Amino acid sequence: MKKLLSLLTVLTLVSTSALAAGGSVELPKQPWSFQSVKADWEKDKIYRGYQVATQVCMSCHGFKYIKHRDLMKVGFTEAEVKKLAEEMEMSVMDTFKSALSDEDAIAAYAKALPDLSVMNKARPGGADYTYALLTGYKEAPEGFNLPDTGSYNEYFPGHVIAMPAPLAEGQVDYFDGTNATVKQMASDVAYFMQWTAEPELTTRQQLGVYVLLYVFILAILLYFTKKRIWSDIKRKDTE
Amino acid sequence: MAKQQVNPNPSSKLEWFEDRLPLISFMKAELVDYPAPKNLNYAWNFGSLAGIALILQILTGFFLTMHYKADAGLAFDSIQHIMRDVNWGWLIRNLHMVGASFFFIVVYIHIGRGLYYGSYKSPREILWGMGVLIFFLMMATAFLGYVLPWGQMSFWGAQVITNLISVIPLVGDDIVIWLWGGYGVNDATLTRFYSLHFLLPFVILGVVFLHLWALHNRKVKSNNPTGIDLKKDTDFVPFHPYYTIKDTFGLAVYMLPFLFMVFYMPDYLGHTDNYIPADPMTTPAHIVPEWYFLPFYAILRAINFNILFLDSKLLGVIAMVSSIAILFILPILDKSKVRSARFRPIYKVMFWAFIANFFFLGWLGAKPAEQPYTAMSQVATALYFGFFLALPWIAKIEKTKPLPTSI
Ligand code: HEC
Ligand code: HEM
Repeated sequence: MKKLLSLLTVLTLVSTSALAAGGSVELPKQPWSFQSVKADWEKDKIYRGYQVATQVCMSCHGFKYIKHRDLMKVGFTEAEVKKLAEEMEMSVMDTFKSALSDEDAIAAYAKALPDLSVMNKARPGGADYTYALLTGYKEAPEGFNLPDTGSYNEYFPGHVIAMPAPLAEGQVDYFDGTNATVKQMASDVAYFMQWTAEPELTTRQQLGVYVLLYVFILAILLYFTKKRIWSDIKRKDTE
Repeated sequence: MAKQQVNPNPSSKLEWFEDRLPLISFMKAELVDYPAPKNLNYAWNFGSLAGIALILQILTGFFLTMHYKADAGLAFDSIQHIMRDVNWGWLIRNLHMVGASFFFIVVYIHIGRGLYYGSYKSPREILWGMGVLIFFLMMATAFLGYVLPWGQMSFWGAQVITNLISVIPLVGDDIVIWLWGGYGVNDATLTRFYSLHFLLPFVILGVVFLHLWALHNRKVKSNNPTGIDLKKDTDFVPFHPYYTIKDTFGLAVYMLPFLFMVFYMPDYLGHTDNYIPADPMTTPAHIVPEWYFLPFYAILRAINFNILFLDSKLLGVIAMVSSIAILFILPILDKSKVRSARFRPIYKVMFWAFIANFFFLGWLGAKPAEQPYTAMSQVATALYFGFFLALPWIAKIEKTKPLPTSI
């Protein structure tokens, strides 16, 4: 039986990793702070990501599951949230709508543009993909047939993307004076999008440790209880 | 019969009640005193684990229904509402989502245990058959549930799988349209799939009851790792406390990987495309079913050739359904008198080859339908059915090891 279980584990690992493979280009991994189980959302990084998202991305994309009020769950005060909403002439309960209507998007890009709220969960690689995509604009290689409706992107499947490179050096005036390089903005907005995609992430990861620890200790205690209860049974066949 | 009539002067309220409905004595007989073989190994934990997994699905599912909206325009948003705004909604949904996958892991091991120790043989044919029925119902339930979040994979998976019904000669197309409630998967489909997804777990619960009734029949009882019939009373222990504690310990161990996935990798076993709202105008690059369907999906796609007047699509569906339905007749196919693989040297090798081949099929099911995978799937499908078809013959030639007289 032990043989069976270990064989099953190995086979499962092999088959699932084979499942996960088979994407396009290998994505470079970024050291995201939310990957630590202890992490809280970093208010400053979310704020910078928010600036990129609202000042750049939202001219074409929406974040329909997000409203200013939600920022209060990551450390913004009510006054701060009100002020940010007012600057955008919104109420704190308004969802983040794209400035581009679907009709205009279809006219310009022949498709309605994706909402970005859950984007990081909707692509393999998540935040790494978003970061790679935003920093992946390049000259098309020699001989590549690039239609004039698209740009060349190293990480987009098929490499021809209808989104023109959205980020340019110094495009955003960061509230904290951080130097707005393309990489900085890409990192901040990808982080912001991780929060919009799974706001519960940090709570979930922090809670998980305690839950698992609890069950682990319980399992040990139950093991000894079981041993004790079974101690009066003579078993020839224990396998 | 000792007591044919109720006692007119019951000594307690309990006796009064028990005379009228022997609920407590029933529960005591089945859950406390039920004689279980004392040599059961941990493979026997997976039955009770499956029961707990079922209850967990029903409970978490019940809470999800309070916030879910079965409407093509609202379903996707309502899932996000659950994940973001509902108190502990993310936990409930992750438990339900990962719970479905783990339910299948448990039941696969449970079936594997039955195969290895010959638990399907006389007198457990009906018990086994109820199990296969449960497995069919589980697959239907999981498929229907996966449609509900109304993501791209929900929609296109539903499209592909329901389309399979159209292969039924003459009436297939009409049945599919009737099932969809339209000319394609649409809002009406979602609503009825929701009703069915709510209903089927209770049907499963009913069949589980029959499954356990067949097991607890004192002429049947549990099989054991040696596969021999146990005759002495000393070979058994009362279910409580011996197996209640063992099952509880098993449950705690099971909870570790399960909760790990719930808290740290809830989306790992799913497909990222299902976080893209369903779009009837855009077909995903690869339509892949959930992992637990992959071996059967590979069998479906392996048949890409017509035989005489029979269309390959029809044959594929027949092969896929038969690959599970063949389990029903396993007690007939396997004529060997010896149950446990421990004493069956050839069967033991065949069993492990079958398991390896099953994983191979699962791997193939996730690959695109192109060469060399199609050829590989055909070989693996042949091996899959070969296992079953070889059994009557193996029973004749196999020299089994001597059986112990007791445990
Ligand atoms: C000028 C309009 C415009 C702006 C500004 C813009 N995008 Fe896009 N975006 C598009 C278009 C068009 C597409 C569709 C691309 C396609 O499918 O080829 C797209 C697609 C995407 C995708 C999906 C790519 C995929 O894998 O399908 C992501 C992620 C994305 N944008 C992120 C962003 C982020 C983050 C920003 C802000 C930094 C941003 N976009 C700003 C137009 C824009
Ligand atoms: C909802 C799913 C299921 C539940 C809740 C369930 C529950 C149980 C329980 C509690 C037992 C007794 C403990 C044990 O022997 O493991 C059992 C035994 C058994 N089950 Fe299931 N079961 C399920 C599905 C299946 C399926 C799909 C099959 C086979 C196709 C199956 C075949 C058997 C057999 C043959 C036994 C007797 C095993 C023996 O004594 O060796 N079960 N089941």
